[in-house]
Amino acid sequence: MWTVSGLAGAVVKILFGVAVASTVAVARFGWVPVWVLDNVWWLFAAYATYALVRAVVIPQWRYRVHRWEVSDDLVYTRTGWLNMNWQLVPISRVQTVDHTRTWLERLFGLATVQIQTASHAGSSEITGLEEQLAGQIAEDIAGRAGELRDDAT
Amino acid sequence: MTQPNDPPQPERGNSPESGARPEPDRTQDVSGARGVAGENGVAPDSADSLGGGSPSSQGEAPPWWPDAAGEVAPDEQWHHPAPEGMRRLSPRILVTEPVRYLRTLFPFVIVALIFGTTNPMVLTGAVLAIVGFLVSGFVTWQTVRYQVTSEHLEIHRGLVNRSKRTIPLERIRGVDVTSTLLHRIFGLAVVRVEAAAGGGHSEEGTLDAIDVGEAERLRDELLRRRAELRGQTHEHQGPQSTSDAALASGASTPGATDHTDTTVEPDAPTEEDLPQHSTSTRVHFVLPARWYLFGALSLGYLLTPFVVLATLLGFAGQVARDARLASDVDVQSVADWIAESSAATILWAVVGGIAVLLVLMPAFAVVSYAVNNWSFTLWRRGVSLVAERGLFTRHSVTLELRRVRGYEILDSPLERWASTAALRAIVTGLGDAATRATLLPIVRRSTLHRVVSSALTPFRGELVAHPPAARSRRLFRAVTPFVVLAGIAWALGQYWFAVTALVLALASVPLGIDRYRALGHGYDGHHVSVRSGSLSRTQAVIERPAIIGWRWNQSLFQRRVGLATLEVSVGAGSGGYSALDMNFADSVRFVSEVTPDMVRPFLVDTSPSGPQDEAAT
Repeated sequence: MWTVSGLAGAVVKILFGVAVASTVAVARFGWVPVWVLDNVWWLFAAYATYALVRAVVIPQWRYRVHRWEVSDDLVYTRTGWLNMNWQLVPISRVQTVDHTRTWLERLFGLATVQIQTASHAGSSEITGLEEQLAGQIAEDIAGRAGELRDDAT
Repeated sequence: MTQPNDPPQPERGNSPESGARPEPDRTQDVSGARGVAGENGVAPDSADSLGGGSPSSQGEAPPWWPDAAGEVAPDEQWHHPAPEGMRRLSPRILVTEPVRYLRTLFPFVIVALIFGTTNPMVLTGAVLAIVGFLVSGFVTWQTVRYQVTSEHLEIHRGLVNRSKRTIPLERIRGVDVTSTLLHRIFGLAVVRVEAAAGGGHSEEGTLDAIDVGEAERLRDELLRRRAELRGQTHEHQGPQSTSDAALASGASTPGATDHTDTTVEPDAPTEEDLPQHSTSTRVHFVLPARWYLFGALSLGYLLTPFVVLATLLGFAGQVARDARLASDVDVQSVADWIAESSAATILWAVVGGIAVLLVLMPAFAVVSYAVNNWSFTLWRRGVSLVAERGLFTRHSVTLELRRVRGYEILDSPLERWASTAALRAIVTGLGDAATRATLLPIVRRSTLHRVVSSALTPFRGELVAHPPAARSRRLFRAVTPFVVLAGIAWALGQYWFAVTALVLALASVPLGIDRYRALGHGYDGHHVSVRSGSLSRTQAVIERPAIIGWRWNQSLFQRRVGLATLEVSVGAGSGGYSALDMNFADSVRFVSEVTPDMVRPFLVDTSPSGPQDEAAT
């Protein structure tokens, strides 16, 4: 799914790039250095290649890195590709559990679970779960949170 | 906690005399007196111990004590306080409201005065506007009403669109009393009631404006009723009970040896018995007059004159533009003067201007600092810390100790040089916390530590320095932007700019080193502490029970050198406090030391050799 959304993003970027490049090529603004004007299509091609490669490679990478685990009283997530990010959220401090599906996620039968605590920095998110599993996890966490609830915010 | 039958008697005994009571100073003594009266009803033994205090408390009765005794008696009952009558804002807002409107419209008024003398239209408009303000003030006074019931604070307002805001007393997190210069002239105050609604959103009820005495009474009444509700409905002890006990014992330790530490009322035993109900007052800190000079150390205040200057220049520019519309003479003459003067004269003028600025900067800083923090006082009233400050606008912020989950010590290089620092509380659910949570302005470090150990629980551990790789990283990050800038400038042929950037790069070497030296983390069994920053260095100290999660961040560069940034998630203050560039393995060990049960399930082996090993899946 990341590949698809990445590709969609890349297509949008490429279209935008075409628009920019053509305006630049047509209008030939005075403030743009001459060498940019001469090579505008090359620059655009380089950018498009980069965007495509990015769209294909990054999701693979992210898929390899992303991990999550829900134990009895903890939720652990690992995200990121260049900047990695580990997070521990004790279930006793969870305040709300959101279970959302965007239209793209629904197309692929996936869902996202958001775990929110009192602190913005302490809130976590698990993306790209299978739909049923996500629903189950959300319920589990919410149930456990109800049992383990302590007052500290 | 409360016995339903015995409480009312002492209160009833007090209230008939209330109308004849002399006026006290209306500050902390009042609430102290009130608290004594209240405690008599709650705990029989404390009533005995404080029996001697009651007569004196009758002498200090508050001026706002309602005249009709029949009205008071029911709402002073402990168990089911009956609803109070509807109350209105002070009639004096009939004056303050129009004046406040006029102030915001000041420029227009001036314009109206200048041109109005010749233009009857403008004059009529101005008169109409003033009448309008008076009417709107009258309408506000007539329509805004509030009522304290047994469970809610209700605020009604609006003439055409009526609204009624109901704030459950249990949800009230704090009551602030603020009064601007204008309000103080008329003896008024603004009461802000802060309440937590669901989802962490802050909802406020503002009463603008009521009598100062009534404001104090309302605050005490709200806080007292809230405390009762909490005491009756649920036990809020849980993880806080230890810290409360620690706080109470910390407050009564004889370690507090300072002239400013005056205990207004000897109260130690009752305070520990009844942490929810005690309303004793204890002054922790009063800002001595000569410490206003410390304002010159604060970078923020040092820069204030520039902001003011910029505003003034902007204003002057505007005026000049307006003036030009009227006549070109002035601008022309200035231009002529500049053209006629020699280069040397102008240079001298500029140098002189800068010199004057440099001299004035600290003076401005001290003045603005003094205005903001005039007679800064921090005291403890029952279960709350109260900070009051300000010369013209007097701010009074009440922070419930239960919600204070830690504190931050803030300093800048200049302040470190003078060994001073400021103190800020890490509080749950406080909007605009940066200014309102200030517990101490810039004070000597020794004073700061004394106040921390008497008002809060001090951090007793040592801060552990971060690995040397962190130093190279800090240095790299401090210097690189300027070096890159210099390179670009050189490539573009802007040599002067390049040299400036290089000088800045050199200057930021000590900055980077200082940033590294500031890095540290520590744990003393109760509190976690992290420190970072140089120009504004912050040491955050957080109670262990307040920690609601951990988060590691590792960039590509950090991964190469085995560092990671560990962020402590807290449901208070800014939400997260970071320990920059810790050794990754160290950070995991640190976390498992502080909250063993949080990490243990995920540790594959106790000695993780690298980031990847930590993942159990």
